[in-house]
Amino acid sequence: MEFKEGKHSILMVSDFFYPNFGGVENHIYLLSQCLLKLGHKVVVMTHAYANRSGVRYMTNGLKVYYAPWKPFLMQNTLPTFYGTLPIIRTILIREKISLVHGHQAFSTLCHEALMHARTMGYKVIFTDHSLYGFSDIGSIHMNKVLQFTLADVSQAICVSHTSKENTVLRSGLPPEKVFVIPNAVDTTMFKPAPERLSMDPIVIVVISRLVYRKGADLLVEVIPEVCHLYPNVRFIIGGDGPKRVRLEEMREKHSLQDRVDMLGAVPHAKVRSVLNSGHIFLNSSLTEAFCIAILEAASCGLLTVSTRVGGVPEVLPDDMIVLAKPDPSDMVHAIKKAIRILPHIDPQEMHRRMKEMYSWHDVAKRTEIVYDRALRCSNQSLLERLPRYLTCGAWAGKLFCLVMIIDFILWRLLQLWQPDSEVEPVPDFKRTELKTEVRK
Amino acid sequence: LRKGAIGAPIGPGSRDRNKHAVDTHHIIAQRSAVKPIVTYLLAILLVTYAVFLHLEKGKPVTTVIWSFFFGAVLVKLLIWRPIVKESVIIMPEFGVQLETHYGSGKINRRFIPVSKILKPVLNECVTPVTCCWCLSFLIRDGNELTLVFKKFRPPLKMLVPIWKALCVATDCKESFEFQEDG
Repeated sequence: MEFKEGKHSILMVSDFFYPNFGGVENHIYLLSQCLLKLGHKVVVMTHAYANRSGVRYMTNGLKVYYAPWKPFLMQNTLPTFYGTLPIIRTILIREKISLVHGHQAFSTLCHEALMHARTMGYKVIFTDHSLYGFSDIGSIHMNKVLQFTLADVSQAICVSHTSKENTVLRSGLPPEKVFVIPNAVDTTMFKPAPERLSMDPIVIVVISRLVYRKGADLLVEVIPEVCHLYPNVRFIIGGDGPKRVRLEEMREKHSLQDRVDMLGAVPHAKVRSVLNSGHIFLNSSLTEAFCIAILEAASCGLLTVSTRVGGVPEVLPDDMIVLAKPDPSDMVHAIKKAIRILPHIDPQEMHRRMKEMYSWHDVAKRTEIVYDRALRCSNQSLLERLPRYLTCGAWAGKLFCLVMIIDFILWRLLQLWQPDSEVEPVPDFKRTELKTEVRK
Repeated sequence: LRKGAIGAPIGPGSRDRNKHAVDTHHIIAQRSAVKPIVTYLLAILLVTYAVFLHLEKGKPVTTVIWSFFFGAVLVKLLIWRPIVKESVIIMPEFGVQLETHYGSGKINRRFIPVSKILKPVLNECVTPVTCCWCLSFLIRDGNELTLVFKKFRPPLKMLVPIWKALCVATDCKESFEFQEDG
């Protein structure tokens, strides 16, 4: 495959990828697929999962490197600072990469890859997918690491304006360098049921991880109240997590076994059928940078009731969502309003509007603009780049400079040990087109 | 990384005239002139320093013994090559013989009949520090791939002609196929 002008060779790096399912994982996969369709070359790098290690190819020839670095905490690779330098250098040279795109602030592999890529002179882009705090000890450390990585990033992408504000405040990055490109939804996969469900009973669907951050405690207060007010309302709860026990206890206490179904963990492929069995989608997250779940629900024609947190108000138009404060009584009030306006909702019309508003192809085209902008940034030597790290803090700045100088020295030593010309580039394979005959 | 060289095919004439010619490919570990000198010098320096410490500074004689030991380890790690040559002898319509020649003179031979070979494949391997290509056989009724070269990891441009020759000998069509996943 010969590369046309204007087409890039991108390396996506993150600790979060298939075979795990989640917002970041799906974002990387779907964005990569759309970029491949636009004619770019995309390679993904992540850590090994269980016995999945080495090179794998996914749909449309998306090459994935499962580097044999085992995760040590919450899916993250063990941070060794310089341990991943040789493998990242090898992949960058053999795949003839032109820029590196890291995902998620909580991924150690992403931070290391961006650091090494900058040392070697590649342009780097970072996408932040979540909101983080400022005051707890974990957030303080995470923000310092983010400051280090983003001190010298070419461009950054955030998934909502709220997320951009959050990232800029946490990292001290100039706002002009941050682009806002929202996530999208695969509207071909999330379609409403062909026949509209009857309004009796009204089914409210919740699909989320049952953890504190996703507001599972709010559900424990809200569900019995709504069931008491509306005898014809049922709940379906999909998902698993540490707070599941509390929900089961709530069900027992109020004798709601016949009105609240707990499905447990729902595989991603089954999410659509669960959504199609409901009228209203309830999201009770306490913090959310974007929330793809409500996009999926809206694409399936469900009216959404959600907490007004983070980037949620930016996602859907006012007639598709009812927002509430993250407070049980306000949420009950919002559900009442949703039930009242439910008869006026047309699921097919909602799906059509979602198709026009959100598409991964649009996200890919916008990301392409960011890549073009990044490649136009000037090349800078180590000495020109070091002053950016000094601004990170009185002590931290000097420490970061030292880390980058050592990285530079290690890279040069590695070049002496194995020159760039000795790393063999990978041949580009021709994809065989499957020709199907159309029977008339 | 060890560089190798491919030996010329042993067998008369071109393939067209004599397609039953035995085809041999050797991968030989390259000998460098500088590396042994430097390594021996380092080992001698280490032992001399240990002797100096023992005689002048009064360190115990175990220091000298340890220095000999470390010197030997250094020499073994950097210079001593357990395997000096790996060969593939392709006998069309009969089988493939894999040979490993050790530095001690021992030769390990393994014969795989053509009927057992499903396909020779070029695999990309990823280690924690690098990526390389491996030439292996898919064996009929076997669970694992059989590596053609046990120790050496020659570059792709050396492996491709060997792989093509193996494909011809085992009657497999060459193709760069994707194993699609997910």
